[in-house]
Amino acid sequence: MDKETKTVAIPISLVNQIEKKLKDSTFNSVEDYVADVLSKHLGVESKPESSFSEDDEEKVKARLKALGYMD
Amino acid sequence: MKLNQNINYIVSGLERSGTSMLMQILHAGGAPMAYDHDSRPPDDSNPKGYFELEGGKVITRLMEGNFTLDKHQGEFIKITAYGLKFLPEGRYKIIYSERNIDEILDSMEKMARIRDDSREETRDSFIKLNEMIRELIQKRSDIEPLFISYNKILESPEENINRIYEFIDSEELDLEKMRACVDKSLYRNRRN
Repeated sequence: MDKETKTVAIPISLVNQIEKKLKDSTFNSVEDYVADVLSKHLGVESKPESSFSEDDEEKVKARLKALGYMD
Repeated sequence: MKLNQNINYIVSGLERSGTSMLMQILHAGGAPMAYDHDSRPPDDSNPKGYFELEGGKVITRLMEGNFTLDKHQGEFIKITAYGLKFLPEGRYKIIYSERNIDEILDSMEKMARIRDDSREETRDSFIKLNEMIRELIQKRSDIEPLFISYNKILESPEENINRIYEFIDSEELDLEKMRACVDKSLYRNRRN
C-alpha cells in the first residue's frame, strides 16, 4: 500500500458500523479496513513478492540472525 | 487429546508478536505440540518459555528443504513468519499472531540488546514481510489460516480464545484452562 494518503469523507453511520466490525477483525483502524475493502472492490492486486524486496529480505534476515532465529 | 493426523498445525507470526503466548495457551488447553526448552530456555524476554524447536532455527532447515514436517502432523509447532515462505505443499492449519509493529520492534531490540539506528527502514521491511506472508497464507489452498491479534487477546481473552478453540475444532481442548492461561502481567513493551 502507498504511504501517501488523502482524506476522504464517509458517512458517520458507516464509520460506526466499521468500528463495530473492527472488534472481530485484525484491522487496526477504520482507515486500514476501508483501504482493504476498496482495494478488493477496485481489483487492485497488491504484489507482495515485489513489494517485499530483496533489500527488505536482507534486513529481515539480519534481524532474525541477531535474534537467533537463523544461522 | 488427538488432532487430525493429516494436518500440520502451526503457530506463526512475526517474532515477538505473541507466538509464545499462543503456544502457552494451546499447551494449557492440552493441545499436542512439539518443542524443546533446551535450545532456547526461558529468559527475561520470555519467562514462560519460547515453545520452539531447535531454538527457533526451523527457518534455516525449511529454507534448505530438510525440515521433516511429516513428523509433526497432528501437533502444533511454532514457525515464525518468514519461515512460512518456505513451507512445502501439504495440509496446514495456521494460527497467525499479529501485534502492534512498534511493540514488536521494541521487544526485538530489547531481546537482541540492540539499538536500531535505521528503525523506520526496519519497520517498513517487517510490515512488508507481514503483508506478504498474510497474502501468501490466504491464497494457498492447502493452508487454512486464523488471524489473531495479540493486543486483542489481552483486551478480551474470552472472545479471542473462543475463536482459537473453534478453529482447532476439538472438544477435547480444555477451553477454561486456555482462558485462564492469559497472563496480562507479561504484556510489556505496550504502546498506546
